[in-house]
Amino acid sequence: MNWLIYALIFWLASWALNVRIANSAPSRFKSILVPMLFGFSLLGLWEGLVSGFNISPILLPPPSMIAARFASSLPILWEDFVQTFVKGALSGYFIGCSAAFLTAIAIDRSDFLKRGLLPIGNFVAALPIIGMAPVLVMWFGFDWQSKAAVVVIMVFFPMLVNTVAGLSAKNEIQNDLMKTYGAGYWQSLLKLGLPAAMPFIFNGLKICTTLALIGAIVAEFFGSPIRGMGFRISTEVGRLSLDMVWAEITVAALAGSAFYGTMALIEKAVTFWHPSQRS
Amino acid sequence: MTSRTAALRRIWHRAGPILTILAVLLAVWYASAVALNAAWAKDKAKRADTVLTFSELVSDTMSQDKPLLPAPHQVAEEIYKTTVLKKVTSKRSLIWHGWITLSATLLGFAFGTALGMLLAVGIVYSRATDMSVMPWVITSQTIPILAVAPMIIVVLNAVGVSGLLPKAFISMYLSFFPVAVGMVKGLRAPDQMQLDQMRTWSATKATSFWKLRLPSSMPYLFASLKIGIAASLVGAIVGELPTGAVAGLGARLLAGSYYGQTIQIWSALICAAILAASLVALIGLIEKITLKRMGMLS
Amino acid sequence: MKNMIKGAIAGAAMLAASMAQADDDVTLQLKWVTQAQFAGYYVALDKGFYKEEGLNVTIKPGGPDIAPAQVIAGGGADVVLDWMPSALASREKGLDLVNIAQPFKSSGMMLTCRKDAGITTSADFADKTLGVWFFGNEYPFLSWMSKLGLKTDGSAGGVTVLKQGFNVDPILQKQAACVSTMTYNEYWQIIDAGLTPEELVVFKYEDEGVSTLEDGMYVLGDNLKDAAFKDKMVRFVRASMKGWKYAEMHTDEAADIVLENDASGAQTEKHQRRMMSEVAKLTSGSNGALDVADYERTVQSLLQAGSDPVITKAPEGAWTSEITDAALN
Repeated sequence: MNWLIYALIFWLASWALNVRIANSAPSRFKSILVPMLFGFSLLGLWEGLVSGFNISPILLPPPSMIAARFASSLPILWEDFVQTFVKGALSGYFIGCSAAFLTAIAIDRSDFLKRGLLPIGNFVAALPIIGMAPVLVMWFGFDWQSKAAVVVIMVFFPMLVNTVAGLSAKNEIQNDLMKTYGAGYWQSLLKLGLPAAMPFIFNGLKICTTLALIGAIVAEFFGSPIRGMGFRISTEVGRLSLDMVWAEITVAALAGSAFYGTMALIEKAVTFWHPSQRS
Repeated sequence: MTSRTAALRRIWHRAGPILTILAVLLAVWYASAVALNAAWAKDKAKRADTVLTFSELVSDTMSQDKPLLPAPHQVAEEIYKTTVLKKVTSKRSLIWHGWITLSATLLGFAFGTALGMLLAVGIVYSRATDMSVMPWVITSQTIPILAVAPMIIVVLNAVGVSGLLPKAFISMYLSFFPVAVGMVKGLRAPDQMQLDQMRTWSATKATSFWKLRLPSSMPYLFASLKIGIAASLVGAIVGELPTGAVAGLGARLLAGSYYGQTIQIWSALICAAILAASLVALIGLIEKITLKRMGMLS
Repeated sequence: MKNMIKGAIAGAAMLAASMAQADDDVTLQLKWVTQAQFAGYYVALDKGFYKEEGLNVTIKPGGPDIAPAQVIAGGGADVVLDWMPSALASREKGLDLVNIAQPFKSSGMMLTCRKDAGITTSADFADKTLGVWFFGNEYPFLSWMSKLGLKTDGSAGGVTVLKQGFNVDPILQKQAACVSTMTYNEYWQIIDAGLTPEELVVFKYEDEGVSTLEDGMYVLGDNLKDAAFKDKMVRFVRASMKGWKYAEMHTDEAADIVLENDASGAQTEKHQRRMMSEVAKLTSGSNGALDVADYERTVQSLLQAGSDPVITKAPEGAWTSEITDAALN
């Protein structure tokens, strides 16, 4: 019971502190400190609730136990990370996004294809593609190739739709200007079309980072070699090692955030001119 | 006469490309079905010591019990059999399973929309919430919730929350994010001039919320709702996978996979697709009506 | 009007009467989806055997991601069905699971291999790919491999293990030389898919001397201290075993009862009826009581599992004959 009260007091105190900091003069350091503080207060609350209510670690382990497990099983976590993220998610992400990009450029020249593919692309992008995972595992075998295939299909359509929308973002005046310069198709694509499309393309790339990770992990549930994050999660649940499961979730969250963050940084560097990046 | 041909031409202009691409996709589907299922047919023939002619091979690939890729007409036949020919209350009716998934989707979507809107209002009106919660809202989506959905469902089940709610919880987790992000954008859409104008009319914070911020967030909200409802459906389907293959489209997928019944998998997939499309279209319709009434649609 | 009042009073009286002797609630968590593997429980429910014992039983189907041990730990079930290796491993994790009855005498687990993959005896496993179920079902396989002296980490001279999904596709598509099967289920899926028994080699865990006890009834040790709970379990076990014996005698009827209860609507009559007749072979040797010799053999096999044993020391108090002694007299 004491634990519960401590946890609540801790959380309220850190929230009050956050409100104070947030309302003082803003700075770069504070914009990192505040969310960190909030995150830690949530962890504290979690730890306190688990101890206070005496929740069995078979149902929900406390953060301290997860951290200990994380630290002691780094080699396994790394092996799983390589199998699922590097081999499955990254290669699928790369193949899927480049294929979608090339397709978008190919159909951009044909109004007919664009009018046909866009509604269908929008439709498919909204589908529960993850349901294809068992089928793809059946087709491509058990190793990372089938996981990459799931990722390719998952990222293809959101990427396609975003790129096509981006390529239509240039306006007529700019287009005419390129024509008066006597620019050919490729030249105007490279100098005008692609740069103008960049904000949309990066929007697609960012959305696809989370899709890629989810696709690669869930596909492992339908058959896999004996390593990988999805394999470990489903196996360790069966062995009641929930601390290991949460350690894998932590790895996934870290990898996902880092992946998303990297894309956002590249976006900042490439589209520094866009209004959304100023301010 | 001329107006009729003009109308026809307009329809063709819109539907023609889509139909053409669909026809191509269907042809590719048939061709892949033959290519993928041929190995099994040949293997079977070899073991039976017979040689297949090409037409025999093709007809075999179109009519296998458990093909790698069922032909479109096999899937269509299965869907027809399990929707029209079965009673709606039958456990073998896809409509029954679809309804189960739909109810979890809608419940989760309602929760997600409410949570997303609340968060957005909190973020727009409180600096502390904005600074501390917003980064975590983004991080929350990098956790592959779908991957841990089975575990969440089991844990919730174990503590006595069962039935629709655990599935709706997964749906909520997936759908609150687009709603919150879209809503924040929308509530901040009014520019300084409009906000100042409200102030010159000495409008209270509440009035300027109801009369200015909320109305101007509507287009953003509807765009997010369309993404949110599709995400909800995915959540409900994945949430059904581990609940013991009891009922719902997700359970059909799993049971189909467990017994290698590919035709059943594909028919469940197609039904999920139709469901997703109708839900998104429904939101689109509501959007059109609402925006028209608000005078925001020309 | 008078009649209505009379009717209402009579109804209330009946309600009160039924309230007075309200049935005790029991929730049973299955290990897998609704199928003939659990026919005995469904028969007992359908035929009213539980009702006769004054029990109101709810059967929760399992699935590929449901760990019965986790469900009982959270209080989601009173009794769970589990395999002994996984139950004993859970004990080592601190969950006090106790076996109260063992309706399955023999193991139905086997490894089914393709002859054209070059396998005729267990000596041929080296450097082959074998499909295995995980989620707590990998323990019997691991202890068998360590008995054969084969490494399972994919190194040369050992075997390559792949996590088999929910079906037998890996062997049909030659991705694996062997897959795990149950005598009553997956084996027949392979046959149904078009392979003939002549093209296959099967290794029954029972014949290899590495069999472990399957579907047993487990409860939490703490609950067994409560006399009322014990009494409930005695009645539950008695009715369940009656259901099993009925199912063994009337396999087709039992399979139909299972089909009635299958909410996914994915099961077929042919498969379930065949499954029921195979399951009957495994349960027929048991009256519900755990055979201590079987238990010891399971424990020994798990303890000996080489460098990575499933359990590290012989468990104590992992089973009790109290319930079955009282139930079967």
